[in-house]
Amino acid sequence: MEEFIVWVVWILAALSLLTSGIAVVLFQNPFYSALALIGNLASLAVLYLLLAAEFVAAAQVLVYAGAVVVMFLFVIAYLGGRADAPWAGKPSLQSLAAVVAAAAIAVEIVVVVALKAGDQLSTPARIEDGFGSPAEIGHLFLGDHLLAFEVTSIVLLVAAVGGVILGSAVPKEKRS
Amino acid sequence: MDSGLNQPWWIDLIKALIVINLVMAAFAYCTWLERKLLGRMQLRYGPNRAGPFGLLQPIADLVKLLRKESFFPANAIDLLYIAAPAVACFTALAAFSVIPFGGVWHVGDYVITGWIANVSIGLLLIFALGAIGIYAFLVGGWASESKYSLLGSMRTAAQLVSYEVSLALSVLGVVIMGKSLSLVDIVAEQQATIWFAAPQFVGLLVFFVAGIAETNRPPFDLPEAEQELVAGYHTEYSGMRFGLYSTAEYINMITLSGLAVTLFFGGWGGPWLPGPLWFLLKLGAFIFVFIWLRATLPRLRYDQLMRFGWKVLLPVATLNALVTAILVALL
Repeated sequence: MEEFIVWVVWILAALSLLTSGIAVVLFQNPFYSALALIGNLASLAVLYLLLAAEFVAAAQVLVYAGAVVVMFLFVIAYLGGRADAPWAGKPSLQSLAAVVAAAAIAVEIVVVVALKAGDQLSTPARIEDGFGSPAEIGHLFLGDHLLAFEVTSIVLLVAAVGGVILGSAVPKEKRS
Repeated sequence: MDSGLNQPWWIDLIKALIVINLVMAAFAYCTWLERKLLGRMQLRYGPNRAGPFGLLQPIADLVKLLRKESFFPANAIDLLYIAAPAVACFTALAAFSVIPFGGVWHVGDYVITGWIANVSIGLLLIFALGAIGIYAFLVGGWASESKYSLLGSMRTAAQLVSYEVSLALSVLGVVIMGKSLSLVDIVAEQQATIWFAAPQFVGLLVFFVAGIAETNRPPFDLPEAEQELVAGYHTEYSGMRFGLYSTAEYINMITLSGLAVTLFFGGWGGPWLPGPLWFLLKLGAFIFVFIWLRATLPRLRYDQLMRFGWKVLLPVATLNALVTAILVALL
């Protein structure tokens, strides 16, 4: 029974992940695209939950579906009328390249997962008790992956400082 | 999490049903309490016609809201316009699932816990739900196709995003001291040691101020400043759709009070009285302060609000987390 429920949830989440992902690029109104992106990130969080990664799921919703997309929506709503004419250009070389690149990444992921997993894809994973818990992830951040963690934090710090500098620079003619 | 205890799934279902209805009832009587207290503080009676002491007023209000015409702006985007208030209400209610309101009881062969879910990420879950709740205000205002609504929802989003940072940072000290993100564990830790309100006094202050801003309560009710914005993001809502927004706001206030009680005042812990009663008493005290502040303080200006959030509250919250971390590491 439990396995059946997991399957149902997985299929629903995967379907909603794919449809919302396609919707993000297909919607002509950027506001709807951003809303679809929320759906996409939320379904991804459900998949994380199924993988016993509670912390990652919550962080995913909190940071990406919450803070990041709010900024998108905020800017879109500020800029725009919904009456904006949809983009009417033909598919360019750029969009073609984007599709090819995305497909290449998809193939790469499948190949890497298949190679790594070998013939164990059908055997259920053994998960220890603390797996995916905040405590376990904290140990990993401040132990095995300390360098990556600190480098990431420096990148974020640089971005924040850059944002402050860009925001505080007032053009001379506007000063009064 | 609770494996090994004899807890069939239907017990959780019953508990969830009871808690949801209790929270809804608490919301209804919050509106009554607010009007009554504001009345007393302003030397008037407040509602006193429907029932003794006006106690039936919330029910009368509900009937009125249900029977009112739910008008609909001609250019509104139907699906988003209708869904937004429901999402607001859902996220507000769902947060209560991880707040513990009592200990563990044994009834016959069954073990009944005083919480609906004890997850290792309880605190993060509440913040994640709050983050989703912002969309309800933003999308509702945008979908109404009205300038006042749009401006109101822009203000709401800017304010909530700004103060969410301080709110999350202010509880970091509690998490460090409680050594867990699970609210059940944090309450247990406080009962074993001391209420975190004492060592985390600065955190409590920041949490409370940021919390008032997060719930759009006066003096931070800029998103619905009626002199400037009519009613902010819910200008174009009426009837029960407005009612849902209003419900969400009050329940957010109740949840926030519950969270403050859980994080800083030992949750349901207390002598003599049973746990849930202590929880209710402490909750009531917090809600009283919320209402008291509304009667006392005038609304801030918008630039003051933003400056205060980023330049005062955020540094204080960061410093508090930093100092707590250093002290906990040293001691």
